[in-house]
Amino acid sequence: MKKGNYLLKFLLPALFLITQVTFAQQTTKKDSTISNLIVADSTLSDRLDKVEKAIAYQKKRESHFMVVGLATMGFVLSQNTQSQNGVLTKTTTNSLADADRFEFSPMLLWRHGKKLLIEFEPSWDGNSLGVNWADVSYFVRPGLIVRAGYIVLPFGIYNKRLAAGWINKLGSDPTGVSDSPPGSDFGVEIEGGLPLGSMKWSYDISLTNGMQLQNDGTLQNAGIVDNNANKTVTGRLALLPFSNSSLELGVSGMYGKVGSAASGQPDAISAMYAFDLNFVKKLGPLLVNVKGQYNQVNISSVTYKNPNDSSAYTFKNNSSSYFGQLSLRAISAPGLLKNFELAGRYVDYTTPGMSSWGSITNEYDVALDYWLSWRSVIKLVYESREVKNNTPVNLGGSLGDWNRLNNFIIQYSVQF
Amino acid sequence: MKTRNIKFLSVIGVLFFFGVVIFASSCVESQKVAGKSGPQLWAENCQRCHNIPSPTAFSADQWETIGLHMQSRALLTEMEKSKIVSFLQSVNQ
Repeated sequence: MKKGNYLLKFLLPALFLITQVTFAQQTTKKDSTISNLIVADSTLSDRLDKVEKAIAYQKKRESHFMVVGLATMGFVLSQNTQSQNGVLTKTTTNSLADADRFEFSPMLLWRHGKKLLIEFEPSWDGNSLGVNWADVSYFVRPGLIVRAGYIVLPFGIYNKRLAAGWINKLGSDPTGVSDSPPGSDFGVEIEGGLPLGSMKWSYDISLTNGMQLQNDGTLQNAGIVDNNANKTVTGRLALLPFSNSSLELGVSGMYGKVGSAASGQPDAISAMYAFDLNFVKKLGPLLVNVKGQYNQVNISSVTYKNPNDSSAYTFKNNSSSYFGQLSLRAISAPGLLKNFELAGRYVDYTTPGMSSWGSITNEYDVALDYWLSWRSVIKLVYESREVKNNTPVNLGGSLGDWNRLNNFIIQYSVQF
Repeated sequence: MKTRNIKFLSVIGVLFFFGVVIFASSCVESQKVAGKSGPQLWAENCQRCHNIPSPTAFSADQWETIGLHMQSRALLTEMEKSKIVSFLQSVNQ
């Protein structure tokens, strides 16, 4: 083969092929670089968008909506000992999710400007979906807040401030104090906290539909439709005598008509009062926390109905309840020790002796709490509640009978 | 008789209300209390009911909303609420 033929047949096509491949590779590399730049640019752009959105979210606005709330769950092991006509019976049960104390309550807060706040707290207890409060508050001026809607009554300190599972250091609410009288009602309220030199004081007054007297003499919420034309006034005055706000002393009163013409007790009224105390102070290495409340409920001695035979009868319709609580936490202790808190509580609840629901309840509770963070806690609780029957035989009771409930509870509670 | 009683109670109620308003308007804090800082008031007041919250738990806007909620729950004075919220917001900015 001639040399020229060889060049034409093999070398030139080979060169052409190499050139094409190299060029193609360069083009691909160039395209790939451009493509990478576009991707990088688009990623940067996405990131910028995200940052801008985050800034916009954080930026102060006229309105703001947020959801907080609380959840409580756990396990309870219960032993119930009952003495009926001198015969003792014992039953043991246990329940996951802590049946009597399970709660999931998201709280919706919507603020418009700096003066209007709308609050709504639905609550699911495992059986039913209820509402703890649903109200609108207007912050008129320093020391004056006006509220309307379904409100927590300003009676004592427990229901309004201490009932949340992650705040309560024990496993359950104090019997009687938290539900006698019922804690929420429909109405309007004015309140405020004001300075008084080195002290502080607060007032809280509400006007609500009030309670409704049942045939057996117990009270329940009248609800959104009042059972009479009168309204119930509830108020609390509190004084914080020390400049460090360590002590708060409160006195409350509630007065209103509870009977209705339809029930045949048109003139029945209820007059209640309560005292509360709250002391929190670091004493040496310990944070000492003392809380207490006393409730007295007096209702007119009108004619009630015997649930046994529907006959009419009357009794002195007075109930009382109180609790005292002490908790200690070594907040200056090293390591994990500072996360432990020891709490104890005594509860007493006495209902009218000559009624169909007469009883005397005594309860001792102790708890060892471990704080996972400032708003989440694991509690190991032991409760012993004894209820003595104080209802005469002719009203369906059996004087001398009693019931003792011992609970061991492992509970987790969190504010979210 | 009943109408007279209602009128009498209404007058007493109105007088009491205005008495409270006048008294409340004259309430001022001492220099000692007025000089307290946001962190000090945050520590003193939050622990009255619950553990002292972490300032980073919520954003500046959220603290504004929570500030109103807590002012009505714990009945904080306006000065206390403003200083506590300003402190908590400053940590988040």
